[in-house]
Amino acid sequence: MTTAPVLAMRDIRKSFPGVVALAGVDLTLNAGEVHMLLGENGAGKSTLMKILSGAYRKDAGEIRINDRPAEIRSPHDALALGIRVIYQELSLVPHLSVAENIFLGAEPARAGWIDRHTLESATAELLADLGMDLDPRTPVAQLSVARRQMVEIAKALRGEASVVVMDEPTSALTAREVDQLFAIIKRLAERGVAIVYITHRLDEVYRIGDRVTVLRDGHHVATHALAEVTVNDLVRLMANRELAQHFPARRVKPGDALLTVTDLGREPFLSGVSFTLHAGEIIGIAGLLGAGRSRLARVLAGADRAGQGRIECRGEALTLRSPADAIRKGIGLLPEDRRAGGLVALLTVVRNVALPHGRRLARWGFLPPRSEDVLAAPVVSNLHIKATATQAVRSLSGGNQQKVVLGKWLAGDARVFIFDEPTRGVDVGAKIEIYNLMNRLTESGAGIVMISSELPELLGMSDRILVMRGGRVQKEFDARNATQEGVLKAALGLH
Amino acid sequence: MNRCLVPRASCLVLGVLCLVLFTSCNRQAPASDDRKTVALVLKTLNHPFFVDMRRGAQEAADRLGVTLQVQAAEREIDVDKQMQIVENMLQTGIDVLAITPSGSREVVSALVKASGASVPIVIVDTRLDAKAAADAGVKPRTFIGSDNYEGGKLAGEYVVSLTGGKARVGILEGIPGHETGDSRLRGFRDAVAKASGIAIAASQPANWERDQGFNVFQNMLQAHPDIDTVFAASDLMALGAIEAIAAAGRTGAIRVVGFDALDDAKKAIAAGTMSASVAQFPYEMGKAAVESAVKLLAGEPVPADIMVKLEMVTKATAAK
Amino acid sequence: MNARRYGTVIGLVVLCTVLWALTPHFLTISNLLNVAQQSSINAIVAAGMTFVIISGGIDLSVGSIVALSGVALGALLQAGQPIPIAIAGSVAVGVVCGLVNGLLISIGRLPPFIATLGMMSVARGAALLFTEGRPVSGFDEGFRWIATGSVLFIPAPVIVMMAAYAIAHVVLTRTTFGRYVYAIGGNEEATRLSGVAISFHKTAIYCVSGLMSAAAAIVLTARLNSAQPIAGMMYELDAIAATVIGGTSLLGGEGSLGGTLVGALIMGVLRNGLNLLGVSSFLQQIVIGGVIVGAVLVDTILKRQRT
Repeated sequence: MTTAPVLAMRDIRKSFPGVVALAGVDLTLNAGEVHMLLGENGAGKSTLMKILSGAYRKDAGEIRINDRPAEIRSPHDALALGIRVIYQELSLVPHLSVAENIFLGAEPARAGWIDRHTLESATAELLADLGMDLDPRTPVAQLSVARRQMVEIAKALRGEASVVVMDEPTSALTAREVDQLFAIIKRLAERGVAIVYITHRLDEVYRIGDRVTVLRDGHHVATHALAEVTVNDLVRLMANRELAQHFPARRVKPGDALLTVTDLGREPFLSGVSFTLHAGEIIGIAGLLGAGRSRLARVLAGADRAGQGRIECRGEALTLRSPADAIRKGIGLLPEDRRAGGLVALLTVVRNVALPHGRRLARWGFLPPRSEDVLAAPVVSNLHIKATATQAVRSLSGGNQQKVVLGKWLAGDARVFIFDEPTRGVDVGAKIEIYNLMNRLTESGAGIVMISSELPELLGMSDRILVMRGGRVQKEFDARNATQEGVLKAALGLH
Repeated sequence: MNRCLVPRASCLVLGVLCLVLFTSCNRQAPASDDRKTVALVLKTLNHPFFVDMRRGAQEAADRLGVTLQVQAAEREIDVDKQMQIVENMLQTGIDVLAITPSGSREVVSALVKASGASVPIVIVDTRLDAKAAADAGVKPRTFIGSDNYEGGKLAGEYVVSLTGGKARVGILEGIPGHETGDSRLRGFRDAVAKASGIAIAASQPANWERDQGFNVFQNMLQAHPDIDTVFAASDLMALGAIEAIAAAGRTGAIRVVGFDALDDAKKAIAAGTMSASVAQFPYEMGKAAVESAVKLLAGEPVPADIMVKLEMVTKATAAK
Repeated sequence: MNARRYGTVIGLVVLCTVLWALTPHFLTISNLLNVAQQSSINAIVAAGMTFVIISGGIDLSVGSIVALSGVALGALLQAGQPIPIAIAGSVAVGVVCGLVNGLLISIGRLPPFIATLGMMSVARGAALLFTEGRPVSGFDEGFRWIATGSVLFIPAPVIVMMAAYAIAHVVLTRTTFGRYVYAIGGNEEATRLSGVAISFHKTAIYCVSGLMSAAAAIVLTARLNSAQPIAGMMYELDAIAATVIGGTSLLGGEGSLGGTLVGALIMGVLRNGLNLLGVSSFLQQIVIGGVIVGAVLVDTILKRQRT
C-alpha cells in the first residue's frame, strides 16, 4: 500500500543572473515524515524552500501536492496549499500578545470589531493541542527565544497545514528547549503533517529524522532513509566534489609576521581567537553560518571593538577604535555584503575608490581638481574594472563591484586584506580575475585573511585553513593536507 | 539619459500647465484699457472684518465703474508675503494702491516702489509708522480708518462704568507693533488710568487669532485667578477668551469686552457671554477707500484723514 | 543625475513661457528681478536644507532659526554694534542652533525629524522670550542696503543669494566635506567603514543649515526693516519643497544645489505669476502643493523605471 506523497518536487531549476542556484532538484515528502535537508552554505536548500513557500518562482520543474499538480506563484498560493515555513528570523510583532500574533491577519471579528473572547479561547485550544505551555495574553516581547519559536510554530499551524518547513530551528535553543521542540515535532508528525527540517547539527538528524536528502551546489546528491547512512557518509555526500576548478598556482613563501592576533574575543560572538598572518600568506577561514567569521572580520577591521585580546601589526600593538584606525594601519576590509558595507551605490567608481583617501588628497579641505581621477585611474586599469566615468556602481556586475571595493584599499597602501566571501555573487570569469589579484597582492608582500563558504576555494587558495565554530577556532589545517570532508567535519563539530 | 529627460520634463510641464490654466480660469477680470484698476491689498481674507471691507469696496467699485483687484496673504503675520503681493500687483500696472498694512513699519519698503511708479497710495485701517514713512519718502494720499485710539478709549470708559471703577483686568493684545492694536491699547489704558480701583493684572499678545486668544487667556487665568474683566483688542481673540472662560467654568463671572463687533460677537453679547464690543464699520472703510481712489484718479482733492465712526455695541444696542 | 536637473530647468522655462502667454506683465525686467528677489530668502534657506537632505536627514527648525538669528541681529544693531559684528553674532546664533541639532543627531542618535522638531519649538520660544513677543525694528540705511540696494541693477538680496550658492556649490562639489555629504546620504555604513568620521561630519552638515538660515534672516530683517520673533513660520516647508522640486531625493545620496536654486525659482515664479493673474492666495497654496507632489511623483516613477 503506497499512498501518494504529500509533496513531490521534480527537477526544480532556478537561476539568478550569473548563478545557477538549483540545477534540477527532486524532493518527495510523505505524510507524517520528518525529512532532513542537508547541504553546505549555498547548496540550494533555502532557494528550494523559498520556491516551495512562494517567495521565489521556479524557472522549471514540477510540483505536485497529493499527486495533483500545483502552481505556487506567491506566498498566498503556498499558504492556501497548506505549506508553512518557519524561518530562522522570527516574524512576530513584539508588542502584540501571543494570541494576537498567532491570529495576525485572520483575527476572529464581528463587523470589524475583534472578538477578543474567541481570539483567546481559540489560541488556548491550539496551544493545548500542540502541547505548548503558554498564556495567550502574554506580550511576545516578554518571551524567551525558545517560547517565541513555539508561538511561531503555533502561528504556522493555525490553519490546516500539511507541510511545515523548519529552517535551523534549534540554533538558539538550550538542550531542554530542544527536547520540548522535538516533542512538538513528533506530535505534528503523528497527526500526519510532513516536516522538512534544515539543519547543520548532524546529531539532530538522527534523533528525529526519518529520511534525509543531501544537496550540493544546486544538485540533488542523494536521498536515503536515515537507517541506511552513517554520519561520515553524509559528510562525504555533502562535501565531495570534483575539484574541476583549477586555481592559479601559488608560489609565494610566507615572510615576516604581518598581523598577530592573540586571544581575541568579543562577547558573545568571539572568544580566544589566535593566529599569525605572514606577508605573502593567505589564511582561509572556514565555518558554518553563525560561526563568528564575519564578526572576526569586523573586529580586525575596526568596525567592532574587541572585548579582550591583542592585535599586533608588524610588531606594533593596535587599539582599533574605529575603521579609520584600521585603515591607517594598512588594514582593508572587503565586507561580506558589499552593497551594505563596501560601496556607496549611487556614487561612481572613482568616488568610491577615493572615499577613504579624502584626507590624504585634500589641501585645506579642498580636493584639487582631478585628484580623485588620478588616484583611481591606475587602480581601475590594474583591476580591469569595466565602467564608464559617470556610471553609478550599483549598475556594475557583481565582479566589477567587488573589484571596486578592493580598489579602495589598493589606492592606499594596505598590507593586510580581509576578504569576507570575496567571490560571492561573482561570475566565473571575474572569479578567476579575483584569484589572480589575490596572488599578485601576496606576491607583493601583502597578507590576506580570506573568509569563504566555498570549500574548493578555501582549499585552492589558502596556505592555511582555520575552521571556526561557535566563535572559536576549532581546528587548523595545512592546506596541502586538508580535504573538503575534513574541513566540513571540523565545521560541523565532528571528529 | 534621453529617456529620463523627456518623461520628467513633460510631466512637470504638463502638471504645471494644467494647474496654471485651471487657476487662470478663476482669476479676476483683467484690466481693460478704459477702466481704471484699483488694487486693494488686505492683511488677510480669512477674517470677517476684511471680508466686509472687501464687500464695501466691491460694491463701490461696481457703482463707480472701476475694476477692483483684491489680494491678501494667508495670515496677518506674513508681512513678507504682503510685500510680495504689492510688488507683483504694481507690475500689472494698477492705477491706485489701497492697502491695510500687515506691518506698520515693514511694509514701507514695498510702498517705496509704489511711489516710484507714481501710483497713489491709500492707507486703510492701520496707519504706517510716521517716521519710517517720512524717512523713506513715502507719502500716502489719505488714511481711512477708525480712530483706534478713540475706540480703545470708548472701551475703557465702558469698562469703568460697567465695573463701577473697581476691577482686575486682563488684556489680550493684537500683533505687537501693529499700529491698530497699539492705539487701541493706549486709548484703553488712558481711559482706565483715571479710575484708581482698576488694576491691569496682565497684558499679553494673542496675535489677533482666536485659538491664541483661547490659549493665552487660559494661561492668564491660571496665573491670575482674580481677573474679573477681559479687554481684547479684537473680537476673535475675545471669542477665544470666552471659550477659555467657559472651559474654566466661570462664564458670567468674568466680563469680556471686545473690538470689531463681528456677528459672532453680537450673538455672544445677546447671549450674555460677552459684555460689549466696539463696532467698526469695515464696509464703510472699503467703500471710502474706493471712493477716494476714484477721486484721486480724477485729480480731485481728498482729505488727509477720513475717519469712520465707531460705536459701542452692548446688549441694549445689539438687538438692532 | 543630469537628466533630472535638465527636467527641472525645462519645467521652469515652460512655466515662464506659459505665464508670458497669459499675462504681458510677467516677462519684464523689473518683474523678473522682483521674482529673483522674492525667491532669494527661500533659496538661501533651501541651500542649507539641500546639504541636510542629501546626507539623508531633514531639518524642520530652519524657520525658527531664521527668527532667532534675526532677533539676535536686531538686538545687536539696536545696541549700536557695527554691522559686521551684528552679522557675525547672528551667524553665530544660527551655527550654534545647528550645532545642537547635529550633536543630538550624531551622538545622541536622535532621528533628525525629532531633534529638529524640538529645536523648531525651542528656537521659536527663545526668540519670543527674548523679545517679549515684540519685533525689534528701525535700522539704519547702511544695513538696509542688504535688501534695498543693488549692484548694476541686480538687487542686493539676489547678490547675497548668488554668493551663498556659489560658496555652497564649491564646498559641495570640491571639498572632502562635500564628498562625505553624498557618501553619508548614500550609504552611511559603507562610509563609516571607509574611515570617515561620521559624527563630526553629520554635525557639521547641520551647522551649515543653521548658517544658511542665519544668512536668510539677515536679508529678511533688512527687507522688513524689523526683526520679528514670529518671522520664518513655515519656511522649512518651502525650503524642503524647493529642494525636492529641484530633484534632490528625500532618501539621500543624490541631489544638487543648482536643482534647488531652480526649484526655489519655480516656486517664486509660480507665486508671482498667480499674483499677476489675480488668483487668490488660497488657490496659490493648492497650486504649489500640487507642483510639489507632481515633482516628487515624477521622480519616484523615474526611479522605479530604472530599477
